[in-house]
Order: sequence, then C-alpha cells, then structure tokens
Amino acid sequence: MASHGPLFFRTVWQLMRGQRRRYGAAIAALLLATVFNYLVPLVGAVTIDYAVAGKVVAADLGRPLRALLTVLGGAENLRGHLWLAPLAMVVFTALSGVFAYLKGRHAAIASDDIARRLKNDLYDHLNHLPAAYHDRAETGDLVQRCTSDVETLRQFLAVQVMELANAALLAVVALPLMLALSPRMTAVSFALIGPLVIYGYVYFGQVKHIFKGVDEAESALTAVIQENLTGIRVVRAFARQDYERRKFAGPNATYRDRSLRLLRLMAWYWSLSDLAALSQLGLTLLVGAHWITTGDLSVGVLFAFLAYLGTMLWPVRQMGRILTEVGKTAVALKRLREILEQPREADITAATAAMEKEKTKTEEGIEARAPAASGAALSRLAGAITVRDLHFAHVTAPATAGRGALNGLSFDVAAGETLAILGPSGSGKSTLIHLLLRLYDYSAGSIRLDGMELSRLPRQWVRRQIGTVMQEPFLFSKTLRDNIRLGRGDAPEHEVEEAARAACIHDTIVGFEEGYDTLIGERGITLSGGQRQRVAIARAILKNPAILILDDALSAVDSETEALIIDALKTRRGQATTLVIAHRLSTLAHADRVIVLDHGRLIQTGSPAELSHGEGLYRRLWQIQTSLAAEFSQGLTAG
Amino acid sequence: MPSQILHEDEFQARLDAGLWWKVFQHALRLKRFLIPLAFTAMGIAALDASFAQVTRWTIDAVVQRGAHADLRPYIGLYFLLTVLLSLGVWVFIELAGNISNHMSHDIRRLCFDRLQDLEFAFYDHRPVGWLITRLTSDCDRLARIIAWGSLDLVWGTCFVIMIAASLLLMNWRLALIVLAVLPPLAVVSKFFQRMMLLSHREIRKFNSQITAAYHESIQGVRTTKTLVREADNLGEFQQRSAQMFAASVKNARQSAVYFPVVMTLGSLAAGLALWGGGHLSIVGGMTLGTLVAFINFAGQFFNPINQMARILTEMQAAQAAGERVMGLLATEPKIRDSEAVRQRMFAAKTPTIPVSEIRFPVSDLAPDGHPANIDSIEFRRVTFAYEEGSPVLRDFNLTVRAGQTIALVGQSGGGKSTIVSLVCRFYEPTQGELLINGVDYRQRSLHWLQSQLGIVLQTPHLFKGTVRENIRYGRLDATDVEVEEAARLVNAHEFILQMEHGYDTPVGEGGNRLSTGQKQLVSFARALLARPQVFVMDEATSSIDTETEQAIQAGIERILAGRISFVIAHRLSTIRRADRILVINRGLIEESGTHEELLRRHGHYHELYTSQFRREREAAVLEGEPAHRL
Repeated sequence: MASHGPLFFRTVWQLMRGQRRRYGAAIAALLLATVFNYLVPLVGAVTIDYAVAGKVVAADLGRPLRALLTVLGGAENLRGHLWLAPLAMVVFTALSGVFAYLKGRHAAIASDDIARRLKNDLYDHLNHLPAAYHDRAETGDLVQRCTSDVETLRQFLAVQVMELANAALLAVVALPLMLALSPRMTAVSFALIGPLVIYGYVYFGQVKHIFKGVDEAESALTAVIQENLTGIRVVRAFARQDYERRKFAGPNATYRDRSLRLLRLMAWYWSLSDLAALSQLGLTLLVGAHWITTGDLSVGVLFAFLAYLGTMLWPVRQMGRILTEVGKTAVALKRLREILEQPREADITAATAAMEKEKTKTEEGIEARAPAASGAALSRLAGAITVRDLHFAHVTAPATAGRGALNGLSFDVAAGETLAILGPSGSGKSTLIHLLLRLYDYSAGSIRLDGMELSRLPRQWVRRQIGTVMQEPFLFSKTLRDNIRLGRGDAPEHEVEEAARAACIHDTIVGFEEGYDTLIGERGITLSGGQRQRVAIARAILKNPAILILDDALSAVDSETEALIIDALKTRRGQATTLVIAHRLSTLAHADRVIVLDHGRLIQTGSPAELSHGEGLYRRLWQIQTSLAAEFSQGLTAG
Repeated sequence: MPSQILHEDEFQARLDAGLWWKVFQHALRLKRFLIPLAFTAMGIAALDASFAQVTRWTIDAVVQRGAHADLRPYIGLYFLLTVLLSLGVWVFIELAGNISNHMSHDIRRLCFDRLQDLEFAFYDHRPVGWLITRLTSDCDRLARIIAWGSLDLVWGTCFVIMIAASLLLMNWRLALIVLAVLPPLAVVSKFFQRMMLLSHREIRKFNSQITAAYHESIQGVRTTKTLVREADNLGEFQQRSAQMFAASVKNARQSAVYFPVVMTLGSLAAGLALWGGGHLSIVGGMTLGTLVAFINFAGQFFNPINQMARILTEMQAAQAAGERVMGLLATEPKIRDSEAVRQRMFAAKTPTIPVSEIRFPVSDLAPDGHPANIDSIEFRRVTFAYEEGSPVLRDFNLTVRAGQTIALVGQSGGGKSTIVSLVCRFYEPTQGELLINGVDYRQRSLHWLQSQLGIVLQTPHLFKGTVRENIRYGRLDATDVEVEEAARLVNAHEFILQMEHGYDTPVGEGGNRLSTGQKQLVSFARALLARPQVFVMDEATSSIDTETEQAIQAGIERILAGRISFVIAHRLSTIRRADRILVINRGLIEESGTHEELLRRHGHYHELYTSQFRREREAAVLEGEPAHRL
C-alpha cells in the first residue's frame, strides 16, 4: 500500500470531484453528531455529581462541565428539576441522531453517485474501445472489474472514508473533551487503544491469505459441482455416481475445513480483542475508582469515561480491518484504471496518420477526395468500393513468417453490384469485412468508398453506411421488435414488419404468443441459429444501408427460405451494394460477380457462369451437383 | 414452469416453523456442539450482565468507604469476568463455526447425493447455474442461520431477561418504567430490519441487471459498433445505473434513520433511569453505584434486540432457500430400482467388490439375477411424453438384436434422441414397455443396465483432469496399456502423443483445451474402454471435420461390431453402414430399411441424403479436399 499510496489518494480525490462539497457536509454532520453524542454521558456525569451526589461546584471545574451545568440552569436548579437531565439526554441523542442521519445520507449520495458515474464511464468506455482490445480481453474479467471492483470502491467511499474521518474527529473532539475532564484518566483510557489498533491491523493483514484460501476452496467446490452437473449425462452414461460422490467429498471437506480454520483464527482475534477491550474498561474503572477514593475524581466523570470508552471500543476494534480494506481498495482502483486508461477508438489513429504521410510521398496521382473527419457534411454513399494492394495482420496472431490475413488484395465493386466472396477458411474474407467496417485499421494499401480513403472517414459515419449480418449474429435481450429496430430507431411499425417479411421471419414472429413483443435471450425465448440469422437480416434491411454485407449469414437457413430471402434482397438491388460471403452454390449463383480469395489474395474473378467453366474452387463446388447424380446410380448398382 | 422455479428469494411474511424445524434437524446430529453452544450463549449473557454489577459494587465501595475502600476483590472479580468472557467468546465462535461448517457440508453432501440419483426430467427444468446456487450459497446460508442465529437468539433472550431481572431486583418500580421502552424498541427494530432487507434485495436485483448489461455490451460490442449504438446503449445503461443509485441511497437512508431512532429510544431508557434513580438517590433511596448500573443496563437493550430482529428477518428472507433445499432433499427419484429388484440384488450381492466397479459380469448373471448378456432390445407400443398431453413418441415398436446397428435420421425434434434416452433408461416409457431379453427393463437393475452402455454425445463432455483420466472414466480399473489401446483403436493416440505431456496433458475445464474433434475422439476412446453391450452415438460425428472423421471411421466400426448400436447421425458414412435406417418423424417411423432400399424409394430419406451429400461435399471442397474423394 505504501508504494502506491500517494497515487491512490490522488485518484480518490479526483474521483470525488463534484461530490467534495457533499463530503464536506457529511463530515460536518459527523462532527456535530459526535459532539452531541459525547454530550449525553456528560449530562449523566453532571447530574450524578452535582444534582445527586451534591458535590460542590469547584473553581477548577473543566470548561465543558461548567458550560453544560450553566445550560441546565446550575446545580441547584437541576436538583430541583431533575427531569431536565433525561430531557437533555434524549434531546442530545436525538440531535446527534439527526446529524448522524445527515452524515449517512450525504455519504451515501456522494459515494453512490461516484459509483454510478464510474459505472457509466466504464460502460461507455468499453463500448468505445477498439475491437482489437476486445479480442484480447476476457468478458468475465471485465465484468468482474466493472461490478465487484466498483463495489469495493463504493464501500470504501461510503464506509471507510467516513470511518477514517470518524477516527480523525475522535482525536479532534473526544480527546480535547476527555483531556478537559481529566488528563490522567484520558491517559489511562487510551493505554490499550493503540495496541488494539495495531493488533487488528497486523491480524487482518496476516489472515488475508487465509481468506483467499477459503475463496479458492469455495471455487474449487463450485467447479466440482458444476462439472458434475454439466456432465451429468456422461456420469449416468457410465453409471459413475459413486465415483462422483467420492470426487465431490474431497473439495466439500476441504472447503469446510478451511472455513473452519479461518473461523478458529477469528475466534482468537475476537476473544483476544475482547480481552484487551474489557481490560481497558476494567483498568479505567479501577484506576478511576482508586482516584475517587483519593478524591481526585468524581463518580460522574468516571461514569462519563466509561460511557466514552463504550462507544469508542467498537470502532477501535474495527480500525485494524478498515486499514487493511484500504489496501484492497487500492488494488480495485488500479484494476479499474487499467480499463479507463486504454485509448478509445479514434477516427484518425497514429498508425493511419503515419500511413497517410507515407502515401503522400508516393502519391499515385489520383488525389483521394479527402473529406474532413467531421462527417457532418458527408451524405449517403453511392456504394462503390475500391480495394488496392490491401495488407493486414492481426496483432494477436503469432506472425507466421510475416504472412498476414490479407496480403495485397485488390478488387473493385461498382455501386449497386452484388459481389460474392468465396474462399476456404482463413483466406481473409471476414478480415476484409472487418476492415470495411473500420473495426480494424489496415496497415498498408487502400480502401476507397466512392473514391474517399476509408481511413480518413469517421468510423461511425462509415458504419452507418453499412449493414452487416454475421454468421452468428448477436441479438440483444430485448423484444424482437426492438432488436429489428436497432437498425433504425425511428422506423415506423409497418417498416419493421416489412423488413421482417423480406427476411422471412415475420410468420415465425407472429407465431409466438407475444409476437413482436416477445423477449429474446436469457429472460425470454431462445431462437434457433437460422431464426437469429433472419432477425439480423431484417435488422440490416431496415437500416437500408448503402452497402449490405452478408457474412455467411444464410448458413443456418434452409435452401427454400434462402431462395426467398435472396429474391427479396434482389428486388431491393440497385439500392445497395451487396457483399455476400457464402459456401453454397445456391447463394453464390445469385451474385453478379464472384471473387475467389486464398491466403489473403485474389486468385479468381468472374461471373458465376464464367467461373463454372474455368478450373477452380467455384467449379469444384459446381461439380458436386453433377457428381451427386453419378453417386446415386453408382451406389445403387453397387448395392 | 421455469419462471416459477427460478423466482428468486421472495420475502415471506410468516415464519414457517415447520420448515425451520426440518432444517434444524440437520443440526441435531451435531449435538456435541449444539448443546455446549446453548450453554455458552447463556453463560456469555450472564457475564455480559455481570459487568455492570461489578461497576456498581466498585462505585458503591469507593463512595461509601472513601480512602478505606479495598479495591482488590473488585479488581480480581473484574479480571476474572474479563477472562471468562473472552474465553466464552472463543468457545462460542469455535462451536458455532463447527456447527455452521459441518452442517453446510452435510446438507451439501445430501443434496449432491440426491442429484446423482434424480432422473433427467428433473434436470430438464432446472438450469445448472440454478442448481449450483442451491448447493453452494443456499446450503451455507441455512447452516449459518441455524448456527449463528440460534446462538444470537439464545444469547439475546437470556441477556434481555438478565438485564430485566437485574433491574427488577435493584428497584422494581423504576425497572418497570425503564422496561416500557422495550416493546417499542422491538417493534421499531423489526420494522426497520424488514424494510432494509427489502431495499437491499432491490439493490441486488438492479445489480444483477447491471452485471447482465455489462456482459451483454461486452459480448455484443462489435454489433454495437456496426450499428453505431454506442450513445443509445449508454442512455439505456444510465437508466439502470440510476435505478441502482436510487435503491442504494434508499437503503443507506433507511439504516441512517434506523440507528438514530433506536439510539434515541435507548437514551430515553437511560434518561428515565437517571431521572427516577436520581430522585431516589437524592433522598438516599438508591446508591450512586446502583444509579450508574441502572443507566448502563438501560442503554444495553439495544444490542440484543437489534440482533434478534436481524436474525428473524434473515430467517424470513432465507425461507425460500430453505424450501428449495429441503424440497430437493425430499424429491424421490422417479426412476430407480423397484423393491423387488433391490431384494434380488441384495440376495445375489457379491460382498467383496462394490457394485459400481463391476463392468464385466463375473458370472453369466447380472447382479439382479437375470442373464448378463443383452440379446435383444424391444420397444413394445411405447408412448412417451416429456410434458403431459404432447407425446413425442406414439405407439412405437422396434426390435433390435445383438450385433445390429440402427441408424436414426430425421428432423430435429422428431423423437430420435428420445428413443435412445429411453433405451438408456434416462426416461421411462409413459405407456407401453421396453424389454431386454424379453423382460421389462423396470424389472432389471438400473445400475447394471447403465453400466452396459457406451454413449458418445454430440457435444462431448470431458471432465477437468488429464486425457488419461478422461479415457479411464470408461473403466476405472483399466491399465495404462488398455487406455492407450482404446485411444489407438479410435485413432486418438497420435494427437494425444503430440500434446505437451501426452496422456498426462490436462484437458481444461469441460475439455476446452482440446478442439471439438479431439474431444470427440477422447470420448470415443472412453466409450470403447467401457466395453459396453449397447452403444449409443448421438450426432457424435457432426462436429468433426472430414479428415478426422475418416480417421475415426475405422474405430467406430470396431466399436459397433458385435454390439447393439443406436446411431443418430448426419454423416452419410455412418448412416450407410447401418443394418437398418429408421426415418423418424413426429414420433413415428416414417421409413425403414437399408440405405439402398430407402434411396430407391425416393422418399424423405432420399431428400435428406441429397442435401447432406451436397453439404459434406461443399465442406470438403472448401477444406481443400480433392473433389473426387469420398
């Protein structure tokens, strides 16, 4: 903790921006609550000493007592109106309560607001981090950070910060008060407090690893149960119930034994700290009693000291734990900063800027119509795509002898044309799509949309021009209508249905009990792969983009439906340039032109009819049809 | 159905004494901890109450005797109490910790045991995550409530009684006045505890929505980007985080009100004591020590009352968890050996070898007294429905003899998997019967039957552990040589040797360090090692690429030879070799015959075959296979 201490407190201070005044109010309220809280035993003390025991008000009486006595109308008055004492006690407690409430309220609003802001920032930031970041990141870990770590921080801001403030106020308020009452008694009362705090701090620091051991044992146990339950079919298939029972017994016992060990250590901590705390009380009582006999102390003041110790001991025993929690919060904060400090997707990155510079040197002559990255002035694309000598290598993939996913790809698509892209897996088809969407930035070469260099166009504007359907489309846990409408939020109802009809999903949707209002995902129904693809197609159609991309998007749809969807898309042709990645001949045959990729290069291009005559991948697919007939006759004669 | 079961943590207004008694009975086995715990709780309450008395005597002594007071007995008494109390605290944590941990361990074991025997129909409606929560946090929670809750209830009750008794003994009239604060204190505590619990639950609900929202946004981040949804997403998320904020602040405010209110009530009690006691003291009717003790006691009611209110509220909240766990333990398996079978098995039991280890019959008889060889399996007019009223199979008839391979084809949802699940007795026929060697299989041992099965599923499931351990799951006493032999037979040996530690390579959770094809090969080896009499393949080769499929084809044939086999398949190579192909549609056999017979018929099978043929070829072409290869 010590090493990143200053940074930690600076970050916390920055987080508090906008809520600092509220924290000030909370601490002020805490101060008043503490003052009133400490007045209550004082009322008891004054009453006991001057009203009940009839002690004479001496000249050396401490200022707090004298002031209080004055407020209560003097000793004589108090003796005559004893009801003043309980009234004062209740009033002071109630006032202390009011301020304690204000403290709690302000601290809660401040810490929860910081937590809310942080959550929103994290959420927004994650949405704006580049795709390459998400390729590397683990979902579970990110979610964990955004929830548990934020909660740890919130706890710190709500509870620990106020506890630390409380400790500080104790020193500022209680200590002077006690010193004013009796310096000697104060010394006696604090004799064991210091060691108690240190003991707690050392103890909780030491048992940290045991807490961790229990957590590990618990997750090991959960893992065994999960393994068993997810594999229950295998267990039954081999009748391995008894074996599984034995396998479960170990982790179950380990978890029990480790928790028990932790509890044993807790037993030592709490009993020893009880011993110390009670000894402190006993010491105060007996030393105080002794001084009463020597006439150095009054019963009332002893009573007040005992009452103060009673309220102080609990926070003091917690203090050790709170101090160790600060260390935990520092770790959580570091993990959150790791996310927030990642650079967001920028429209012009350092890499693309460098590339631009390079290009201006070796300009081929065609001046790219360079639009300002502002994007506001850009209108809808016509949809012509020019790809020249495109190179790209994934950062995460181990560089296989300098070979990237794309290695000098060039081709053209005219506005409104339907282009099919064919190639074995790993040939670079999906990478090309990702580059078009500016999910990644190409390292060399050029992509132009209507003649404009892609890397200089605003990302969001580019993505608005393109409708994409992936093989395994992601749908949100919303209603079907909302999912389709994600394409265009302001689309009227009839257009949503129209899009669903074109994607051949309308009838399925209407067949659901709640129609377009059916929820999908965890809290709703599960759609089949083909249904998901069709919903995503409807979503893309509704978007009405200048460029439509289908990345193996009909793979889970049966061939009959596929034909219907393609027909529907065709009637829209002319509106959109369409790129289709597909493996089925039935899909490919509808394209105006087919390009065949291999190892990130173009190896063949032509109309479907042309390609079915030349040697190559397309022809081999085409031949399956013919060989099927042959296979049958052969198979039947053989059988 | 799931929506009812999955309804989490509803707060119940009434405490169900019967339920808690049932839960408590699980603690009764831990009497050796439970009884001392009750006494410790009482002892601690007595000690807690004694401190104020010692203070009282000390003050009285010094006030009355002044400089002549001998404080030594009080010093001794005080530190004796201190040591005893510390010891008591140590003992109660130890005891309650033992009860809590042993109890949750034991209940968890019982639940796990029960889950091993419950039929699949039970699992169909309960997601794994849901069941895991029952076995982990629910068990812990119940045990914690029983252990620490009974401690707090006993301690709290005794402490309150002792404070009250002390007050009454010191001055009963004043005591009654002070005790008047008690009922409102209890009511207020219960009221606030309940409110805070409800708002805390709200926080948890919103929190899990926020977690889900993060999860969704990260998983769908590419879709968000392509649809340019960043701003809209944030808007939706802000609504959720604002709800969370409101709930969280609400909860904090409730507790910020609660403690001051309770403290003020406590202060009222102390104030009443000071007032009444002060009057008495002035006229000499009460010593100063007693007055101090009175005030102290009056201020101490808060803690026990607060604890008891908390425990009772927690019990209300955990009641749903209790019902679920006790409900699970009370669920009897619907598919199990009948009484008659169990008696026969008991009679024939071989004492030295545990039944579970018998893979191969020692004699010609199975443990249930029937012949150990399976010569035939027959469906006789079998009707089956997962849910009442919508049968998946209707009046289904089929006879399979030893050595035959039956291929089941047809659309998903047609009943193929149901047929094999019935053979495996994972489900039992709703009507009609399934006969093994002519005997209804409900008269045979379930464990014996399932020990004769070899099953390979579409999504192969491996357990965490090494490759070797996973293959050996098929037969626990198999030697390393036998394990490798099985792997060789399915052509898994090569890829296993190529891995970092060969057969000792860990496969990761669920086997996720292996490719699906590799997992499939390991699961074939596992099934082969089991030397099953009945072999079942459920879409087992669908996720294997063409090359791998060719590699295991020989292995599959070796497995199928001489056994009764049921094969649900897409792959033509597997289907073609079957002795009989059944086209299953809507729970009925639509077509039946050999591959050639069915092709000639130009019916449904022909159609399925053609489209599958094309798909396999297209895949082969794209994988770079020469087009002419089969």
